[in-house]
Amino acid sequence: MKRGTLVIALVVLAWTAWDTGADPVRLGRGIPWLLDFVRRMLPPDLRVLPAALIGALKTVEIALLGTAVAAALALPLGFLSARNIAAPAVLHPARATLNFFRSVDTLVYALVFVAAVGLGPFPGVLAVVAYTTTSLAKLYSEAIEGIERGPVDAITATGATRLQILRYGVLPQVLPLFLSYVLYRLETNIRAATVLGFVGAGGIGFYLQTYLRMIDYPAASTVLLVTVAMVMVVDAISSRLRARLV
Amino acid sequence: MIEVTGLSVVLPPAVVAVDGVDLTIRPGEFVVILGRSGAGKTTFLRALNRLVEPTAGDVRLCGRAVTGADATTLRGLRRQIGMVFQQFNLVRRASVLDNVLAGRLGWAPALPTLLGRFSDDDRRVALQCLAQVGLADFAARRADTLSGGEQQRVAIARALAQAPSVILADEPTASLDPALTGSIMDLLKRINVQRGLTLVVSQHQLETALAYATRVVGFRRGRVVFDGPPAALTPPVAATIYAEAPAP
Repeated sequence: MKRGTLVIALVVLAWTAWDTGADPVRLGRGIPWLLDFVRRMLPPDLRVLPAALIGALKTVEIALLGTAVAAALALPLGFLSARNIAAPAVLHPARATLNFFRSVDTLVYALVFVAAVGLGPFPGVLAVVAYTTTSLAKLYSEAIEGIERGPVDAITATGATRLQILRYGVLPQVLPLFLSYVLYRLETNIRAATVLGFVGAGGIGFYLQTYLRMIDYPAASTVLLVTVAMVMVVDAISSRLRARLV
Repeated sequence: MIEVTGLSVVLPPAVVAVDGVDLTIRPGEFVVILGRSGAGKTTFLRALNRLVEPTAGDVRLCGRAVTGADATTLRGLRRQIGMVFQQFNLVRRASVLDNVLAGRLGWAPALPTLLGRFSDDDRRVALQCLAQVGLADFAARRADTLSGGEQQRVAIARALAQAPSVILADEPTASLDPALTGSIMDLLKRINVQRGLTLVVSQHQLETALAYATRVVGFRRGRVVFDGPPAALTPPVAATIYAEAPAP
């Protein structure tokens, strides 16, 4: 049985390798071109540094605003899709809706919103909100489902209303987890937002794409370095904040 | 004070936890519900304020029906019934004072409390209750930084903050160091005597029951098998309460 599963898995993988044309020899032949590409990127052209920094700032803004709005919008959705809170009549439609919208990535949302509201950082923000709301709602609901029953019983026994029970029995148990998920999402959104510019949704990705198209590799490498630095700085700040939460 | 008639609770899938209990608890009594673990004590207490929904029978508090009460009436009745749990059931990450303030939820106006606001009166009550359990200096501490015995005292302060007419305490000392049993039971007894509050405390320890109760109710397999003063609880009666349940 176990061996049979392994054989099937190997056959599937072999087929995918054949179908995608995965070929180590071809990769080997490409290595000189890779090295050539890297050589042509050096040294970075620091004259574009101000532009790259402005782009990076935009990207951080897109991720920050999008994540913050999504963190709030996901709150009611999280409660409505938690098995131990919501009635089945609400729970199942809420979960189905979340699963549907979560199956589409931020970049695809960006394409849609660029078409809807035009170019610039704003459709980028909307795209981040659209994806992050659903993914945070899912994480929230799992945190809510993992709470201890005891404090909820205790608050119920005081004669509290349903909302008071949520506020005093549930929320204090899950709030630190929620904040930690929001910060984690902020980190991944910074990364996601770097490519939003490729489809016209603003930020540093716009500069990267422009310089690559102009075959200005030294300029592109400056933008890449700024991107790496930006992601590392945000990750460091965010993980430090998260460590304090739990 | 509390009138229970024909109370039965069947827990899913088909466990008869409480089986036709009739019991009248009078004001000011210190009733210990005595029995082995699994005798139905916890389910009985939780059915009194409908944390567990009774399958059959009636519960009345000061003449008002608890069973069958609508949500609003039930909340009004629940705030008259303080409850203390075996596992304390504090919100660990919240401060001691916030935990005690939760006892005011049934009385405070709903909207401000949702924003985390309590009136000065509510705060004063909460602080007084903390002082009464000897933890006046612990208000700002996070609940989970306290020892087990201290946490149970906070839970008792929370119940007191409700200004209840009765306190139900479900095995309040069972998760504590045995050395702390006396101090928690002393505290409950003091509340009973000084405030004139009715206490219903479940216990599996015979000695503790005898030392504190004004009345002992023996539970065995969901039924009352003894009801009387501690003095009447002779060794043969105790043996009946604690007898092994025969294999089904």
